Amino acid sequence: MTARLHVLLGGGGVGKTTLAAAYALALARGGRVGLLGIDPARRLQGALRLRLPDLEVVVPGTGQLRAALLRPADSLRRWAAEACPDPEQRARLTANPFFLVLADRLASSTDTIAAIRLAEWAERDPALSDLVVDTAPGLNAIEFLARAEKLAAFLEGRLVGGLRWLAAKPRWGPVTWVIRGGARRVLGGLARIVGTRMLLELAEFVSLVQSVLTTMLERLERTRCWLREDSTEILIVTTIREDAAYTARQLAEALRRLGLAPTATIVNRAVPCPLAEELSALGLGQLTREPAAVVRYARAYAAMQSRVVEAVTPLAPMVAIVPAARDLDEDGRLDAFAALGDQLRVALGQGSAPSADFACRLSHINP
Amino acid sequence: MRQLLKVSVARKILRDTTERTALSILPRIVFVMGKGGVGRSTVSAALGTVLASRGEKVLIVEWTIAEAIAPWFGLPPAGTDPCLVAPDLSVMNYRLDTALRQYFADHLGLGLFYRRVIAGTHVQRLIEAAPGIAELLFLGELFWLTTFAKSEVGLHFDRLIVDAPAAGHGASLLELPMAIAAIGASGLLALEVDRVMRMMADTAQTGVLVVTLPEELVIEETLELVPRIHRNLGRQPLAVIVNRSVAGLVSGVEARPAWLDALAAQLSPAACDGLETIYAELAKRARRERELRHALDGATALGTYSLEDQLAFADDVSPRAVIQALSAALTRQLGDAL
Repeated sequence: MTARLHVLLGGGGVGKTTLAAAYALALARGGRVGLLGIDPARRLQGALRLRLPDLEVVVPGTGQLRAALLRPADSLRRWAAEACPDPEQRARLTANPFFLVLADRLASSTDTIAAIRLAEWAERDPALSDLVVDTAPGLNAIEFLARAEKLAAFLEGRLVGGLRWLAAKPRWGPVTWVIRGGARRVLGGLARIVGTRMLLELAEFVSLVQSVLTTMLERLERTRCWLREDSTEILIVTTIREDAAYTARQLAEALRRLGLAPTATIVNRAVPCPLAEELSALGLGQLTREPAAVVRYARAYAAMQSRVVEAVTPLAPMVAIVPAARDLDEDGRLDAFAALGDQLRVALGQGSAPSADFACRLSHINP
Repeated sequence: MRQLLKVSVARKILRDTTERTALSILPRIVFVMGKGGVGRSTVSAALGTVLASRGEKVLIVEWTIAEAIAPWFGLPPAGTDPCLVAPDLSVMNYRLDTALRQYFADHLGLGLFYRRVIAGTHVQRLIEAAPGIAELLFLGELFWLTTFAKSEVGLHFDRLIVDAPAAGHGASLLELPMAIAAIGASGLLALEVDRVMRMMADTAQTGVLVVTLPEELVIEETLELVPRIHRNLGRQPLAVIVNRSVAGLVSGVEARPAWLDALAAQLSPAACDGLETIYAELAKRARRERELRHALDGATALGTYSLEDQLAFADDVSPRAVIQALSAALTRQLGDAL
């Protein structure tokens, strides 16, 4: 893989989607960049104010940025068409109830399809320089990184062989149960739970989907290697919230268990460091209700910010502090997003030094 | 022999054991749904605290890799067995492998079958990879907890609060029995789907609370989630709870109130910028909350409720203190409904 991969992970509502869009927009000034949303809730479209299909489209006004939103049903149909040139076979596959369930965007299949989709993107667009990936919130996203191993283990397993054997015998009656044999005994037991019709449908699905699966597995394997390349950035995002910092720690631990290491932790929606000190010197006495409440809130926010920064500092070699952005939902949004992306790049040490107002906290923590 | 076993298992599954609790208009099982990060677990813990303080035996069921509620009460993360975190309030965390063992070996009494077939590596992998099975067993476990758990293992709870997985995953939980029914399952699975579907259709048994935040993207998602729940459950969600509300704090009517200029004069440019950013954010949240209430008017059974952002109102913002503050707020606002 020649393109650099950037994966953003983090708890819900920390601003992953916004930061992924911002980062991609900023990177797109210097090269051909892809942005993939895999969140089933489809927030990326809201952030870009654009309806995104499964296959990447150029984001108007950015030139070099292509964005897509994972729609597992569309991805699967495209891969089926790619692997089954015979229209009749393809029609049977796409009408199979298992295929339909898989395609029905059930949460458990999204992560796998996303991982495959990444490798597909790199294949389709060899000129790509960067691919930014937004992920599902919280620890679900780790599934997306771990899935490759899980799925490959299952597909290569003995049971799949058994299922293919089952599909090859259309006249399949109760006598079969008596036949001994590992996979058969297992299948017999399974049929008691799920019923024979369902098992036959599954068997047909497996046999039809075989060639599709081969390509899928190859792509999964490529994504697995891509994630481990030096150029890959794994970014854990948190915001000024106790629970978001807790999730960040859980994510860092889960990554370590997978043999992956986060590149940086991003603390999003930060306020300038001098705020806490200056506000604490301010008397609340002479203020009316609204300003007093806002000052009180701002003090608590700044205090929470230091706690969060301290908590996430040990998680990765770098902490990137990103200021709270204000103009994201006004007109000219794309500019505001790109400006935020530039701030993120600066905070990640790409380009000029970070602004002193935000860097002070870093030097305070990493003297 | 097999026939006999089938019949006895089927009888067990089909036995009508619906118990009704008349404690409140909340159903026996309350699903707490919403996008990740809205505070589902905090709201679940607060609701659980309120109900437990009224003498109900409450169980919060989580489905997560990292259980968080028990640690808020100063305990290690809860496992798959209910763990008491406060008087009458327990927490458990769902895991597929444990649920499978309990379902086949303990509940259906098919221990040998479980060990010979289900516990095999390949079958475990198939079940992990098969879409929907984990979700079905999750709902099955809720069914078991409200029916057989009492007679089988002496476990009784008046109320279950389900801290459902984040929005996309949580909502597919409601769609799942239909998706599985569409596959045309027969055998045990079909019976399981059938009883779970009956449980989900029963207004006395199940209902959904939606938690949201006054933030743009979260609101967008909530406005999609509420009709989706209505469609899939065949009835409206019970209520929407706006967490971290600041509507009572700032009006958000003025773009830049005069007091902000007065304060700005006393601060350095950087600090002033920080305060302005925070005010702009609070004002925006207050406006969004008003719009959300308007958009949700009539979309839920009980209405929209707000829980104040504790950062603005409390000195102690530790999770435990927040849970206490939110349960007091829930009692104030939802008292009659509870």
